[in-house]
Amino acid sequence: MTTSQRRDHAIFDADLPGKAMSFADLGRILTWAKPHRGLATVSLALVLIASFLAILLPVIIARVVIDGILIEHPNSTLPDLGLIALTQSLSEISERSPLIIACLLYGVLTIVCHSAYHLHRVTLAKTVMYALRDLRQDLFHHIEYRPSTFFDKVAVGRIMTRVTNDVQALFEMLMGVGMLVGEFVPFFIALGLMLAIDVELTLYLLTALPVFAGLTYIFRMATRKIYREIRNSVSQLNQNLQENLSGIQVVQLSNRESLNFALYKNVNQENQRQEIKAVKLETSYGAFMDNMVNMALAAILWVGGGEVVQQTISLGSLILFTQFVDMFIRPIRVLGQQYNTIFRAMASAERIFQALDWDEQLKEPQAPAVLPQRLSGEITFRNLTFGYEPGLPVLEDINLTIRAGEKIAIVGPTGSGKSTIIRLLARAYDFSDDSIFIDGIDLNTIPSTDVRRRVGVVMQDFHIFEGTVLENIRLGNPEISRSAAIEAARWVNAETFILSLPQGFDTPLNERGQNLSQGQRQLLAFARVLARNPEILILDEATASIDTETEQEIQSALATLTQDRTSILIAHRLQTIQEADRIVVLKHGKIREVGTHGELMALGGIYFTLTQLQFQDLRSIQ
Amino acid sequence: MNVLITLRRLAPLVQTHALAFWGGMLGLLAARLFEAYIPYLLKEGIDYLAATQADSKVAIDFSAKLGPIALGIAGCVTAQIIVTIISRILIRRVGVYAAFELRNQLFNHLQHQGPIFYSGYPIGDLMARAINDITRVRELIAGTSRTTMVLVFTAVVGLVFMLNLSWQLTLAVLIPAPLITFFAHYYAKRIFLKSQKTQEGFAELSTFVQQNLNGIRTVQAMSQEPYELNRFREANQRFADDNIALFSDSSAIGAIMPVIAAVSTLIIIGYGSHLYATDQITLGTFTAFFSYLALLLWPIREAGSIVTQWQRGISGTARVFEILDHPPEISDTTESDHPELTGRIQVRDLSYRYQNKNKDALSAVSFNVDAGETLAIIGRVGSGKSTLLRLFVRLLDPSEGEILLDGRPIQSFPLAYLRQNVCLVLQDPFLFADSLGDNIAYDDPARTTEDIMRSAEIAALTGTIESFPEGIATILGERGVTLSGGQKQRAALARGIIRMSPLLVLDDCFSAVDTETEEHILSGLKNLRQGLTTLIVSNRVSTARHADQIIVLDEGSIIETGSHDTLLAANGFYSDLERKQRFDKVSAL
Repeated sequence: MTTSQRRDHAIFDADLPGKAMSFADLGRILTWAKPHRGLATVSLALVLIASFLAILLPVIIARVVIDGILIEHPNSTLPDLGLIALTQSLSEISERSPLIIACLLYGVLTIVCHSAYHLHRVTLAKTVMYALRDLRQDLFHHIEYRPSTFFDKVAVGRIMTRVTNDVQALFEMLMGVGMLVGEFVPFFIALGLMLAIDVELTLYLLTALPVFAGLTYIFRMATRKIYREIRNSVSQLNQNLQENLSGIQVVQLSNRESLNFALYKNVNQENQRQEIKAVKLETSYGAFMDNMVNMALAAILWVGGGEVVQQTISLGSLILFTQFVDMFIRPIRVLGQQYNTIFRAMASAERIFQALDWDEQLKEPQAPAVLPQRLSGEITFRNLTFGYEPGLPVLEDINLTIRAGEKIAIVGPTGSGKSTIIRLLARAYDFSDDSIFIDGIDLNTIPSTDVRRRVGVVMQDFHIFEGTVLENIRLGNPEISRSAAIEAARWVNAETFILSLPQGFDTPLNERGQNLSQGQRQLLAFARVLARNPEILILDEATASIDTETEQEIQSALATLTQDRTSILIAHRLQTIQEADRIVVLKHGKIREVGTHGELMALGGIYFTLTQLQFQDLRSIQ
Repeated sequence: MNVLITLRRLAPLVQTHALAFWGGMLGLLAARLFEAYIPYLLKEGIDYLAATQADSKVAIDFSAKLGPIALGIAGCVTAQIIVTIISRILIRRVGVYAAFELRNQLFNHLQHQGPIFYSGYPIGDLMARAINDITRVRELIAGTSRTTMVLVFTAVVGLVFMLNLSWQLTLAVLIPAPLITFFAHYYAKRIFLKSQKTQEGFAELSTFVQQNLNGIRTVQAMSQEPYELNRFREANQRFADDNIALFSDSSAIGAIMPVIAAVSTLIIIGYGSHLYATDQITLGTFTAFFSYLALLLWPIREAGSIVTQWQRGISGTARVFEILDHPPEISDTTESDHPELTGRIQVRDLSYRYQNKNKDALSAVSFNVDAGETLAIIGRVGSGKSTLLRLFVRLLDPSEGEILLDGRPIQSFPLAYLRQNVCLVLQDPFLFADSLGDNIAYDDPARTTEDIMRSAEIAALTGTIESFPEGIATILGERGVTLSGGQKQRAALARGIIRMSPLLVLDDCFSAVDTETEEHILSGLKNLRQGLTTLIVSNRVSTARHADQIIVLDEGSIIETGSHDTLLAANGFYSDLERKQRFDKVSAL
C-alpha cells in the first residue's frame, strides 16, 4: 500500500471560505513574476513619471494661469513646482506670451502623462499575464502527471476550475493590486503639495479620510456576507434549473411541474431578497462615496476663503485644492473595490497551491532496468495481490505465466478483477514489487512511461480527442508518420469507413464522437494501438451491440492486431474467446480455471456450467 | 428585435412598478440639478474672493457673503446624496423584480415544453439564457435605461448652466465633443469584440482541459503527456495574448480620452483667459468651466458605450422571449372527467414522423392489449420502440392514428391525469441530486417509507439500500453517492413501480441489469401488478419471453406478433435474435 491510498481527496471538493490577505501565498505567486521583473521595473518607473506629471497639470491651471497670468498674484512663497519660473523663462526664450507657453506646456505634459500611464498599464498587464500563463502551464503540467488514484477520486470539473477560473481570479487581483500604485503615488504627491500650501486646510480635509475608510470597511464587511448569500442562491437557482432541464421528462411524467415550480420560486424569492439587500447597500455606499467628496468644496471655500482674504494663500492655490479633491478620495474607493477581489483571489491562490503541492505520484524505479530493443513479451504474475482500498483486495494471489506471443482470453463476471489486471499492466496503479514480470524483468523496475510504450491498451471506451481522424490515431506521437497511421488504419479494416467520411483522414471528430458508430470507434482504437506497434497488447472488448458486418471486420482486425504479439483480451464475445490460445476464468479476484476451450469444457467447472446455462434453451427447442 | 419591440416586451415588467420607476427617474433629474448647482455656488464664492483681492474693503462682510454659499454647497451635496440613493434604489429594485418575474416565467414555461423543443435547445443554451440573458434584461431595465436617462439629464442640465454663464465659451468647449464620441464608440466596439474573443479563448481553454482530463487515462496509457502539454501551451499563449490585446485597447481609450479632453481644457485656458481679460466672464466662471467640463465629458464619453449596452440588452431580451414565445407542443384539455381506468389499450394505425425527416419513425401500427396483460415490444435500435412509448404518455402526439385507453382517445384526458395513469419508465435512468428515497417517491413526496421499501424490493434495490449507512436517506449525485449504471436503472424502475398505475410502460429498463436479477424483477412485477397492464420494451429476448404477447418492430412497422413459443417456431426475426443473443452473451458468465 502506498501513501497515496490514504489521502483525503475530499479537500478538492471543499469550498474554501477564503482567508484574509496571505502574504505567504502572494509572495509565492510573485515567484512566477520573477522572470518578468525587467518588465515590472519599467512599469513601475512609468507610473512614477505619470503620477508626477498628473499632479503638474492642475498646478499649471491654478498657479501658472490663474495666479500668475490672470490675476497676476503669483505669490512666489507658495509652491508651484517651479512651473511659474519655467513658463516665464520659456516665454522669454521663445518670445511668446506666457499664456501660449502655459497652454503648450499643458498640452505636451498631458500627452506624455497619459502615454506613460498607458504604457505602465500595458507593461503591467504583460507582466501579470505572462506570470500567470507560466503558472497555469506549470499547474496543468503537474496535474497531467498525477496517477490514476488521483483521477479516480477527484471530479474533472474541480480540477478544471483550478486551471481556468482560479488562475483568472489571480489576474484580476494582481492587476488591481498593481494599479493601486498608480492611485497612491499621486495621492502622496498631492498631499505633500497641499501641506506645503496650507497645513491647516489640509489637516481639516484629512480628517475625512478615516471616516471614508471606516465606511468602506463597514460596507465591505456587510456586503461580503450578502454577496456570499447571493452567490449561494444563484448557484442554487442554476442547479435547480439545470436538474429540472436534465430530468424534464421524469418531471413531466411524474406530474411534478407545479411542485417543482413552487420549489424554484422559493429559491428565486430568497435570491430576490438578498439582491434587494445588496442593492440598498451598494446604492447608499456608492452615492455617498461619489458625492460626499464635494462637501470638501464647502470646507475649502470657507477655511481657504478666509486665508485668501488675509492673503496667506493665493486664490489659485484655493482653486488647486478644489482640483485635488477627487485625487484625495480615490485611493480609498479603489482599495474598497479591490477588497472583494483580493478575498476571492486569495481563496483561488490557496486552491491552486493545494493542487500544485499535491505530490501523489506513481512509484518510479530508483535504478531503472535497461530494456532490450524489442521484448519477447512473456508475462509472469507471481503471487499478485492488489486492492484499491486497504484491506479490500480486488485481485488475490494471481499466479500465471503468459508465453511470448500467446493470446489469452480473460472471462469473468463484472467485478471479478478483469479490468484491474489491465490497469496494473499499463502501470496505472502501484503494486508490490516482484509480482508482475515482463521477460523476467520486474515491472516495478521499469519507468512507467517505458511500460506504457511497450504495452498497448485498447480500452472499452475509446476516447476521442478534438481533432481529425488522423490526429486521433497519431495522438501527437512524432514517431508515427501520416503514412504509418494510414497503414495502421488499413491493417485493422478502418480505412474503408474513414475514406467514406467527408474529408477522409482529415475529418474532424468531436469529443462525443457522434459521427462515428461504436464499431467504427473500436476500429479506430485498434489503429491507434497498432500504429504504436507495442510488444504486448491488452484489449477490453466493447460490450455494446455492433452490427454483424462491422463485427466481422472487428474480428478479423483483432486477428491482425494479436498476430506475433502477446495479447490479453478481456473477452465478451464467444468468437473472441474461442480463438484464444488459453482462457483464464476469473471470479472474485482469483484465477479459478485456466485452459483451452476444450480443456475447460472437459473440466466441467465454472466455465462449463456457465456455458451450459447459455445452451439450455437451445436444447429445449430442439 | 429593435429598441421599440424590446421596450414593448419589457413594458409589462416595468408597468407593475411604474410609479417607483418613473419617480426614480424624476429623482435622478433633481439630483443632477443639485449637482450642477455646486460649481455655480463655487463660482459665486470665487468671484467674491477675487473681488476681495482687488479691493480689500469688500472683505468686511466675509461671513455674510461666503457663509450662505458654503452652507449652500453642503446643502446641495446632502440633497443630491439623499435623492440619488432613494431614486437609484427605486429603479434598481424594479430590475430585481423583473429578473425574478422573468425567471419564474421562464422556468414555468420550460416545464411544459416537449421533446421536440428540447432537441432544438441544448440545456447549456437554455441555462445561458436563464442566467446571462436575464441578467442582461435586468441591466437593461435598471442599469442601461437609467444610465441613458442620467446621461441626458447631465448633459442637458450641465449645458443649461454653462450657456447661462457664457454661451461663447460653451460652444468653444464643445468643439472636440464629436471626436470624443467617435473614439468612444469606436473603441467600445473594438473592446466588445476583443472581450468576446477572450471569453471564447477562456471557453476554449476550459474545454481543452476538460477533454484532456476526461481522456487522461488514454493520454497516460499512450504516454502522450508532452504532446498534450504542448497543445495546452498554444491555447494558453493565445489566451494570454488575447487578454493583453484586450487590456491594451481598454488602456488606450483610457489614455486617448483625457488627451482629447485636454483640447477642451486648452480652449478654456486660452479662449477663457481672453474672455476674462476682456471682462466678458469672471474668474469664477473661468474656474467653474473646468468643473462643468468634467461634468459634461462623462455623457459625451459614455454615449459610445451606451449603444453597445443597449445592443447587449436587446439581444438578451430577444433570446429570453424567443423561449417564452415558443408554443407548447402538446395541447391540454380542460375536461374534468376522471374515470377509473383499467389499462385496456387499442392502438389504431398509429404513425409518427419527426420534423425534417422523410421517413416515418412509426408507420400504421395497430395492436390491442387487454387490461392486466403484459405486452413486450422488441426490435433493433431505431425500430421505433421509444417513439411508440412516448406517444402513450403524450410526450409526442401522433401524426396519424390514435391510441385509446379504456376505449377513449388519450387526448381526451387531461394531461396530468393521463400521466398519472400511464407511467413511463425511461431508458435513461435520470436521478435527481436528492436522497434515494425522494427519488423513488418522486411523483409524491408524501409516500411512506414502507411504500418506498416495497417497490425497492421489487426493483431488486434492497441490497443496495442496505449497503448504505444512511439507507434511503442517502444523497445521490456529485455531492453524495454515485450509483452504478445498474443501480441507477433499478432506482428509476422503483420510481415507476411505486406508482401502481393502471398502465406501466418500461422502456428498455434492464439493459444494465444482469439476466438473473432481471428474472427476479420481472417475476416480482408479475405478482405485484396482477390485473394491471404492463408494456415492456427491450432488445433482449430474455426480457420479452415471459410476456403474454410480443410484438416485433422493425423500421417503424410490426413485423411479427405472438407469444415467445409461437415466435420461435415462426423462425423469423425473433428466433434469429434469440439464437444470436444466446451465443453472444457469454459475457454474462
